[in-house]
Amino acid sequence: MTLQVISVAEIRGLLAQLMEQGRVVAPHKRPGDRQWAFEDLTDPADAVLQYTTTIIPAKKYAFPPKETLLRYELGQAPSVTAVVDSEPLVLFGVHTCDLYGLTALDTAFADHFADANYLEKRAKMRIIGIECVPDEWCFCASMGTATIDSGYELFLTPLPDEEHYIVEVGSDAGDEMLKGIASREATAGEVSYLKTHLNRKITQERHLDSDYTALPLLFTGFAESPVWEKWAEKCYGCGTCNLTCPTCFCWDVLDEMGLALTTGERRREWDGCMLEGFARVATGENFRENRTERLRHRFFRKYAYLFTRYGKPYCCGCGRCVRQCLVKIDPVGVINELIAAHGKGGALIG
Amino acid sequence: MADQLSTTVHGEAQHPPQRDLYLPRRADILEIVEETPQERLLRLKMADGVPLGHKPGQFVQVCCFGIGEAPISMASAADASGTFDLCVRRVGNVTGALHKTVVGDTVGIRGPYGNGFPLETLADRDLLIIGGGIGLVPLRGLIQAILAQRELYRKVTILYGFKRPEEMLFRDELAAWGAREDVDLRLTIDRAHPDWSGHVGVITTLFPDLALDAAMTKAIVVGPPIMYQFVITECRLKGIADENILLSLERHMKCGVGKCGHCQINGKYCCLDGPVFSFSELKYLWEAI
Repeated sequence: MTLQVISVAEIRGLLAQLMEQGRVVAPHKRPGDRQWAFEDLTDPADAVLQYTTTIIPAKKYAFPPKETLLRYELGQAPSVTAVVDSEPLVLFGVHTCDLYGLTALDTAFADHFADANYLEKRAKMRIIGIECVPDEWCFCASMGTATIDSGYELFLTPLPDEEHYIVEVGSDAGDEMLKGIASREATAGEVSYLKTHLNRKITQERHLDSDYTALPLLFTGFAESPVWEKWAEKCYGCGTCNLTCPTCFCWDVLDEMGLALTTGERRREWDGCMLEGFARVATGENFRENRTERLRHRFFRKYAYLFTRYGKPYCCGCGRCVRQCLVKIDPVGVINELIAAHGKGGALIG
Repeated sequence: MADQLSTTVHGEAQHPPQRDLYLPRRADILEIVEETPQERLLRLKMADGVPLGHKPGQFVQVCCFGIGEAPISMASAADASGTFDLCVRRVGNVTGALHKTVVGDTVGIRGPYGNGFPLETLADRDLLIIGGGIGLVPLRGLIQAILAQRELYRKVTILYGFKRPEEMLFRDELAAWGAREDVDLRLTIDRAHPDWSGHVGVITTLFPDLALDAAMTKAIVVGPPIMYQFVITECRLKGIADENILLSLERHMKCGVGKCGHCQINGKYCCLDGPVFSFSELKYLWEAI
């Protein structure tokens, strides 16, 4: 299909239409400098079109911070029911990094034992992506996520006047959405602008000193590096990087009883490998006892372990981890320092 | 994308989502044996009568509703009765609750999970089975399976070490294994004790007297984390190849299905790729042993 151009007013009109059909979520401005959050849309005018990144990624709609897995009633013969909640949802204003983050979670939750709680929410999600405004922490180009060619229904890129957007259609549902919305074909100049825009986004960003595809191999030389300890010394072990990461999906399981102690539910809640007790077992042994081990584990999981396991990196380059980090532990800084200290093994790409 | 349920996420073929992935099945407690002051054995049967179909070395997620879930090793081999045993040390909330159950109570079971011991690769081999403390629990299922088809295996040597005489598990079975001519059972306690007349010393002190055909031997080791490095060293000194040293590792699997991340050992998931690994799989993983 040829690329279409629609105006901001038409985008708001589309949102109004979608809101009539069901729940729509979009980035909203939050108090404070450069703070945005995905929230339920109640007025199409509230949706922010141009922003850097939300505090918490869109994963919260497929993998909520707290999610009921079971409900049970106690008694002589306890009864227990699996809870798999999902509802149709339109997610508006998702950037390429966050779109990639969702595909990374899709792979993990569908692997081996396919997790219905996640997958059913995802299956009912329709996504309208939008081009971003990078800041000093973004590094999506280095992670191969500056562009993405699937995982959305529509994708919007602003034209220089910022009053019009080029629309790429990514699915039949996207075609469906555009019906009844006034649009025109993009001109050759507008189509070539897409590339200019992308180049500007990429060159504006910081970069890893390596092609991301080489990271699993590079990391094999980083295990014993003193660089980990240096960065970990600053770390508060607060787990903010885990919670704000679009590709982190570790969780804990908790039971909670009702006040009458006859009914209860089992929930999963976001957990983080940077938290001290994460790898502790019942007998007290902690397999990653200190912060250096935990920081190293987090990085290895993102750039080596899961990359090797699933064939894709578990970092989307959004920079949320460092943006929200109190002491600015920065993946680009850490990885480039590791490369500077230990080289590329003389063999590798990038 | 359509609003109806889909097993496809944006075009990528996936396994069908399992709505009952985290749903435990009910199991009834048929029998309880207080093994030691800390450990009790629960004999269970699935309430729906469908056996678990487990392998020795696998684990289940056991839950007490209102308290939580915990990963527990299978303590018995599957047999025709459809019952299975779990041996539980009282260390936390769930295991504490399991220690308060009575016969007739119901618990929740998910699983079995994990790979279990590779019985097929043990056939026609000499087996050196080494258990430390409650490491004997998963090994009990393995030993039961081996003894049920004893003719498939060559020499069977069992080393079992524990701290104090009162911590000895499965006394009757140990006596029965020890009485068999086709099993070489050797016990040791860490320090001398007035109630103990057998061998004294940590488990590695049993090694000098072992006569092994290293090329034919598979060692299977389960014990507390501290035990592994010493036992592995002894096995290697005896000439057993790394791929023939099998270990079952302890981690806190919270989901059992490769999602929650808690049991990760470098790039491996203990719940999916383990808990049984050969040492050749682990020797370059700095978090394993």
